[in-house]
Amino acid sequence: MFRKSATIGAGLALIALLAAFAPTTVFGASSDPTAVLTPHTINVSIWQAALIALGYYLANSPWLFGLAFFTLYRPLVAGFFVGLILGDPAQGTLIGAAINIPYLGFISAGGTLPADAGLAGWVGTTVALASGLDPTKAIPIAFGLGMLGTVIFYSRMALDSVFAHWVDARAEKADISGVAFMNVVPGQLFLFAVSFVPVFLLALNGPAAVQDVLNRLPLWAVNGLVIAGGILPAIGIALNMRFIFRGAAIPYFFIGFILMTATHQSMSLVVIAALGLALAYLHLTFVRPSAIPAAVGTALAAAPEPAAVSAGPAPELRVRLTRGDLIRSWVLWTFFAHANYSYERLQGTGFAHAMTPIIRRLYTTPDEIRAALKRHLVFFNTEPNFGNVVHGTIIAMEEQRANGAPIDDDAINSVKSGLMGPMAGIGDTLSQSTITPILLALGIGIAGGSASGSVVPQLTGTTGNPLGAILYMVLVSIVIVAIGYTAWMQGYARGKSFVTDILRSGAIDRVLIGAGVLGNMVLGALAAKFVVVNLAPTVTIAGAQLNLQAAIIDPLFPGALGLGLVVMTWWLLRRISPLALLTIYLVFAILAAYPFFGPGQKDSGDYSYGACTSSLLHQYSPCGAPPASTPTPAATPAATP
Amino acid sequence: MSLRLVRIDDRLIHGQVVAVWLRALGAKRIVIVDDATAGDEFLREVLALAAPQGVPVEVWDVAGGAARCLELVGDPEPVLVLARSPRTILGLRQAGVPIEVVDLGGMGAGPGRRRLHKTISASEDELRELRELEQLGTRVEIQIVVDDRPIPFRSLDSGN
Repeated sequence: MFRKSATIGAGLALIALLAAFAPTTVFGASSDPTAVLTPHTINVSIWQAALIALGYYLANSPWLFGLAFFTLYRPLVAGFFVGLILGDPAQGTLIGAAINIPYLGFISAGGTLPADAGLAGWVGTTVALASGLDPTKAIPIAFGLGMLGTVIFYSRMALDSVFAHWVDARAEKADISGVAFMNVVPGQLFLFAVSFVPVFLLALNGPAAVQDVLNRLPLWAVNGLVIAGGILPAIGIALNMRFIFRGAAIPYFFIGFILMTATHQSMSLVVIAALGLALAYLHLTFVRPSAIPAAVGTALAAAPEPAAVSAGPAPELRVRLTRGDLIRSWVLWTFFAHANYSYERLQGTGFAHAMTPIIRRLYTTPDEIRAALKRHLVFFNTEPNFGNVVHGTIIAMEEQRANGAPIDDDAINSVKSGLMGPMAGIGDTLSQSTITPILLALGIGIAGGSASGSVVPQLTGTTGNPLGAILYMVLVSIVIVAIGYTAWMQGYARGKSFVTDILRSGAIDRVLIGAGVLGNMVLGALAAKFVVVNLAPTVTIAGAQLNLQAAIIDPLFPGALGLGLVVMTWWLLRRISPLALLTIYLVFAILAAYPFFGPGQKDSGDYSYGACTSSLLHQYSPCGAPPASTPTPAATPAATP
Repeated sequence: MSLRLVRIDDRLIHGQVVAVWLRALGAKRIVIVDDATAGDEFLREVLALAAPQGVPVEVWDVAGGAARCLELVGDPEPVLVLARSPRTILGLRQAGVPIEVVDLGGMGAGPGRRRLHKTISASEDELRELRELEQLGTRVEIQIVVDDRPIPFRSLDSGN
């Protein structure tokens, strides 16, 4: 109840605030430096549509060493590959970057999916690129697709519960290979069917359908989509701010923002990130010498070390695991943890699959094998990289058990179920809400940063920089694999004491604090670059017509409205769900494009002063001062041969 | 009322709790009530260290937890209460802790457990305990993450 009324109240307040400027509007005549050219369109062939659909399947599949969720699934990367398939990787990357911004705060934890960022990226880029839409228009369209896509994820989670019982049946027969087979094949066949077919059809028919709809819409409504494209990024940025815009790190957000606006959006995100790293070091050195972890560490240091179970393998073991067994097990987990992700077990079947090399080595009789497989088929879920300390610890326990140590099922289960939650908490904080968004922000900044220092937002520039997508892919893969491997091997070698040592050392807190500084800088810069709010109306002061944006706000504090919008969105997100806020912003953006105060645009190239100042907000850029009769094409994607 | 969220979750502290709920609610303290966890030194330490910096974690058994919750109810600082099973919450309720809503956030599937919704399953005993909680005036709702719409337990419980 409170949420609903707050939603409505906030929406009304925003509209009232902006409507307050309305009566002062007067009209003038001049032209704007931006104009739209006839869109360049691409016909998507059957083969291209099939490749795009395959790409979307791969983005959800385990086949890329489990890294698809961090790479192909992200719209920035999807945009690059769709561009590659359709013959324009630069523009594809730019569109993907734009679509990715609202998903900066995207987190999928414990079998929940707020929206299907993958579908938004793959289909959204295809539609925008093929029908020659500029990236800002693609943002709201892709976001709608993302809401629909969750159906695919949830249908898979439901059916995979059935397949989990097929895995059980193989375990009952002590069939190790059968467990591995059933964890991968049925789930993947189903996933292929539910992801390939809809995306293939959407890629083939979507561009024409979207163009058709856009052609029927009045011009002001289409402009409204562009305005929405400047406003919706505020939601993505604010969602991510929920995690890092806190305490002593807050000022760095404003530093990042001001650096970007002060250089007219021309400063490289890489430079800002480098500065952020330097400031993070200073912050860690001088602001907070990690007081809390130290205190906890000393308070608990006196506690006796946990039982001998946690120690590494003793030399006199009868059956020993080889390094190869450990690596095979880690590789299987990294690939197939989510191959059969189900509501019933989550990663349970993936855990059993990963244990197959260990079980093969340690156990010989069918009874032992059956018991071991079933032991590891129960409900399990953790963050699949940092959380690997659980697997390492469990493998060491299995090894000791096979050598006669008195470790029963309960002991193994209680370590698994006790550790999986806390490790997921730390792991998700590290990988999903810190490392990924920071690297993504960096990649998006590079992808959209090829244009020179113009005040026109970069998203309407002519090309993007594919390096942003490639650099992101490489960096995130290295970091994620390094964390996963280290956690696995250390968990095996040192067991529970590794967990307590790394937590007591405060190293994770230092990483998170440092990342918070860096993340705020990059996020602030990103907000300055991609959140665009341009007031269109003019006021008459002392006989002179002044555009609110160009003549009053920009000279005082460039980007002030965008900054205000982002901070307001961050504040509202504590009270309103992202979906409700998104709907409000979308409706508001389209209404704000309606020509209440003047004749409106006559055609898509009409940027006369009268047309520009006729609505509440204006797309692309401020309705600058007067004339310049030859408009420069800055709002259309380039046609690549 | 500073018990901002009372949640049943068999993984206690994990991604949904740390990355989603804690931030969304602005909770400054986590109180875990679970007899088995309270008796396990290693898990107590891991849980204490797994929470974000500056968010203290307390682990209590049911009796101690009830006393602590009663103490915290009057405190303005927002608190998140976590338990592994409905039995624990019932224990708190019977000890007089005023719990308006209990959130089912994670109850894994297993033999003898019926699936209610997505990742929420319950045994017959647990279903009975949840019904008892409702009779005592505590609303039981499923809301896995903060952006989900809460689903009343009553609407999914066919056995009553």
